Amino acid sequence: MDIDTGSCGRELGIKDEVIKKACSISIRAHQAPAEKPFLVDKIRGSPSQVVIAFSGAWTSDAWSTRDGTAKAFGETEVNLNSFPSLRSIGNDITAKVNEASMNQFLQIMEKSALRSEMDKATRDSKPIIFAGHSSGGPIAIYATIWLLEEYKRLKKTLTHGPFCLTFGSPLTTDRIFCHAVRREEWSDRFVHFVMIHDIVPRILLAPLSSTKEFLEQSLPYLISPSAHHKADSIDKSKLTALFDNVMRNASCVASHAACILMGSTNMLLDTMTKFVQLSPYRPCGQYVFCTGTGRLVVVKNPDAVFQLLFYSLQLVSESESQQKAVASLPAHLAYEDGLDKNLDMRNAIHLENLCELPLSSDNTMDIATKTIVDTLNDLNLSARARLCLRAAGESEKQKEDNQKKIERKMGMIRNALDDLEGYRTMCETRGMGYFDAFKVQKHEDDFKANVKRLELAGIWDEIIEMLKRDELPDKYEAEKSWVKLGTEFRQLVEPLDVANYYRHLKNEDTGPYMTKGRPRRYKYTQRWREHAEQLPRGSCGESCFWADVEELNLAVTSNQPRNEQMALNVANKLKEWHAKGEVKKDAFLKETALVTWWKTLPDNHGAKLCIKDLIES
Amino acid sequence: MSFVADECGEVGYVAFSGVQAIDWSEPSCGTLMALGECEGEPLFSPLRCDGDGDGDGEGTVKVDTGFLRLFLEYYRRQDFQNQIQGLLGKVKMIILTGHSLGATTASLTALWLLSNLQAIASPISVLCLTFGTPLLGNESLSQAILGERWGGSFCNVVSKLDVVPKLFFTALTSLTPQLYLLLQFWQGAMASPSPEQLVGELQKQNFDEFFSKFKKCVQDAAQSEEGARNNLFWPLGSYLFCSEEGAICLDDATSIVKMMHLMLETVSPVSSFEDHLKYSYFTRLLSLQFLKRIDIDDLSESSYEAAVFLALQSSGIDPQDDNISKPAKDCLQMARHMGRAPNLNNAYLAIKLSEITPCRAQLEWYKARCDESVDQRGYYDTFEKFAASRRESTINMNLFRLGTFWDRAIGMAARNELSHDFHCMPKWVNASHSYMLLAEPLEIARYYRHGMHTKKGHYIKHGRNRRFQILERWWNRKVAVVAQEPQQNNKKRSRSRYASFTHDSLFWARVEEAKDWLKYAEEEEDLNKLGSLLENTNHFEMYAEELIKNKEVSIDVLAKNSSYTLWAEKWKDLKAKLLRPPSTLVLNGMDCDYKEMKR
Repeated sequence: MDIDTGSCGRELGIKDEVIKKACSISIRAHQAPAEKPFLVDKIRGSPSQVVIAFSGAWTSDAWSTRDGTAKAFGETEVNLNSFPSLRSIGNDITAKVNEASMNQFLQIMEKSALRSEMDKATRDSKPIIFAGHSSGGPIAIYATIWLLEEYKRLKKTLTHGPFCLTFGSPLTTDRIFCHAVRREEWSDRFVHFVMIHDIVPRILLAPLSSTKEFLEQSLPYLISPSAHHKADSIDKSKLTALFDNVMRNASCVASHAACILMGSTNMLLDTMTKFVQLSPYRPCGQYVFCTGTGRLVVVKNPDAVFQLLFYSLQLVSESESQQKAVASLPAHLAYEDGLDKNLDMRNAIHLENLCELPLSSDNTMDIATKTIVDTLNDLNLSARARLCLRAAGESEKQKEDNQKKIERKMGMIRNALDDLEGYRTMCETRGMGYFDAFKVQKHEDDFKANVKRLELAGIWDEIIEMLKRDELPDKYEAEKSWVKLGTEFRQLVEPLDVANYYRHLKNEDTGPYMTKGRPRRYKYTQRWREHAEQLPRGSCGESCFWADVEELNLAVTSNQPRNEQMALNVANKLKEWHAKGEVKKDAFLKETALVTWWKTLPDNHGAKLCIKDLIES
Repeated sequence: MSFVADECGEVGYVAFSGVQAIDWSEPSCGTLMALGECEGEPLFSPLRCDGDGDGDGEGTVKVDTGFLRLFLEYYRRQDFQNQIQGLLGKVKMIILTGHSLGATTASLTALWLLSNLQAIASPISVLCLTFGTPLLGNESLSQAILGERWGGSFCNVVSKLDVVPKLFFTALTSLTPQLYLLLQFWQGAMASPSPEQLVGELQKQNFDEFFSKFKKCVQDAAQSEEGARNNLFWPLGSYLFCSEEGAICLDDATSIVKMMHLMLETVSPVSSFEDHLKYSYFTRLLSLQFLKRIDIDDLSESSYEAAVFLALQSSGIDPQDDNISKPAKDCLQMARHMGRAPNLNNAYLAIKLSEITPCRAQLEWYKARCDESVDQRGYYDTFEKFAASRRESTINMNLFRLGTFWDRAIGMAARNELSHDFHCMPKWVNASHSYMLLAEPLEIARYYRHGMHTKKGHYIKHGRNRRFQILERWWNRKVAVVAQEPQQNNKKRSRSRYASFTHDSLFWARVEEAKDWLKYAEEEEDLNKLGSLLENTNHFEMYAEELIKNKEVSIDVLAKNSSYTLWAEKWKDLKAKLLRPPSTLVLNGMDCDYKEMKR
């Protein structure tokens, strides 16, 4: 267990004063007129910083855009053109966010001066702190991501990069969103403050239809201080019903997540997810929980945060329900006061070594353990809750162990690739491209190459399987060494897979390689590279052009009309890839499948002219 | 005979009442019958065809005669059919539910729907959620459901104390007349708004003997050995055991039975009879328990121990009572182990498979070399003729390793150590099939090379390794599933070249048999015998020609010196000889026979 003794919020990278200021501006932002969707303030210091605080809105059209047909939780996929990083790369799943809050952000981007404020601060190398309280939180998150994407696109260092601070923000981002942010190593730039009794951070764990009335009619009055509405003006029984409903849903989705963390194999789990709609939203970034006793607890593990959101509000007895429900509203309005009084990040407790959290208290504890036990008690955590946190820690550790395990196989992959490189050279000395040599399978070397291909396929398929089951750390797919190795593997070995596919006529049984037969190990590694180098999707086909060549050749032998588009495309791309050294000259040796096809083209054909030089040299 | 159908958004509900016109005291109740014997249409086809034997053999799927009859009465009702079809046309999900006797009808309806929906590849999800269900069928039924991956569709909520879910471990006839009283009580109490008076009546009776018999039978079931359970009722799907303290969910049938037994040890008779009526109380309690924090002191610091302790506590078993809590703990640990092991084993086998794949590549390479060699014998014959060379001994080694691997996989699948749908997973079906196509011809070659056929008889009937029989069953299952799929997925393109591997792995064994027939036919003088020999030979010829026409054989079959080519030439000669005029009387006869056969 690590107790931070460093000075003023160094762990978070943000000073206490900045947090306080951001919080008060965020709350003031709610009072600003509708045409001013954000407030800007500067904080002097070195470097001086800019705070941009959003207010957001809880209006009906904002929170559920398409009535009736809308998703139960109002989620939608992000636009990958604006947020290219927000997806899982290999699995190719796009992140989802709450549609209404995303639309608010896009509107602000389009119509307000936000863009120019961002540009100005960036020009002066002033870090921007995006902030938001309540409904302003999600908008601050998207603005931060937007700017981070901009930094990435321009390949700028993040020394003066943006931060995001939210206070009592509802969850609006899904599992993939969190995965992507952690992969890009942006997650420490997001700090979310949550009063443990505040209901709002949990509210989107319940279906919108059940919380709509509260969100649209009660909450807006409360958070805008001009209205002078008091929390106790709200009908207690309605509030208790809302609280119960949110907690039931939170319980359901948290238990489901815990079952997965603990590796439950019960088959009901699958069926139930079809019948019970669970909220897709998950926490993303660091969370600072403020307990009733004024303690601050920092948690980074997203699975642990998710469990905490439910368990910290669990009831001690049934009769407590109304009391907690009533307390849950003032808590949402108490951020400014609460932080003003208690904010001293020096004394914050960092829950880090989750696997070894004490389950119960005994008398033989040292002081450090005692602090942790007290903290867990302040967080209202039962033994079951602590087991869930441990499971979250174990799961993270397991993922890291898995990565170490496959890293030990890097050497094996390297050796096999070297052998295949040797095979390629040998084929060339025989005057043949290795694609064609492999397809013919005449010599013993061809056979040995096949064995190497199968060995490599075994290792890579295991890795891909782990990615599919989410058993590797979030960072894995962005690790430079793996992206590089994956690319080398793909460029060298995929031609052999294509050759094998057409050699065994699998195209006649199943269909063309590209659409029906391409193994995942190549699709994933191609996406890795395209993501790492920020290239357009599908642009790195240098490893599988042979499949197109085979299809073109088949069209010639079966007297089908030539696919002109494909022909030109292949030729143009080949020229480009050859120039970059990604396709080697052995592809253009005489008698390769490529040259055979090329010879069938009429002399004045665009494709023929395009690679004429390459073939004739 | 009542049920209610309703819909709410995308979900359809069908609920069956616990008050049913069924008389448990009649002999058909509490006896199992094979599902396959159910008259009329094949309602549960995927379950019926899964058994190994036909009739009363091991693995026959059986259900309770009385409950099946009850279900069939519903099934034949037009209003029932209309309501179900109406729901299926509208909803995306369907929940079948029922209490007590109604629960068994809900389960059978779910099985019927699942069978039906699978046949038309419908995306509708089915969940069967029952309360206090009696046992419905035998262990094979429970296994067959797992094999179809339907296990997750059955959730049975049972109260810790309720006797009904355990009742059918006992032969019901041994329990009359107390059983009769109980049934009256339950059916009366379900229909009546104030059952208190009935409870009073029941308390006057003495159930001691009933209980001791009953407990004994449940205990016997909990201690029964695998394989001896075919005529025993057995739980299916997941069980959610509810108690005042919480609930636990188990999906391993053996653990469920053990748990049922242990929970029975703490029961007092009358309360357990009442518990059968308290399911709405338990479900309400359950949803509250999740929201409430439960504090326990002195928990072990090991996650595993603590979690087991919490599970025990939720199941309402006193962790301090060693007599029950110890075996209960063992049972929970076993359930957990049983749940995880299959996935781990699957992953382990996958790694092993990638390790032996190079052996298969070696065989492929060998085949290609043989098929190209100048002596034009092909793969099968080369291996049959040359045994001693170094090359062939490497091949022998590879064959052995591959065989060992698949024997292991088959053994693990048979011992339930792999996931239940292992034999349906495309990865394994395809891998085993390509192994079979490649390796079995060599096994056949070895069989005939060693002259085993002269000692034991021909390969197909007498020499085939069980491994290949099972792998073929896996493959045939897949073929059958594919055949059920909608037409557009089944578009067969004609092949442009000969297959890499002959699609019938027994092709060469058939050739060997045909060679024998031909040999005998040349010498045979008895007309009748000759006729049947020629008929067999002719059948084979037509079969082989069909394969060749579709290019479903590999090139080695057609090699100039392959056994098949040599056989085909001899057969042509023989046919010509038999047909050549002027012929003797015998051959004239043959002539006609042959012509008829041709037709």
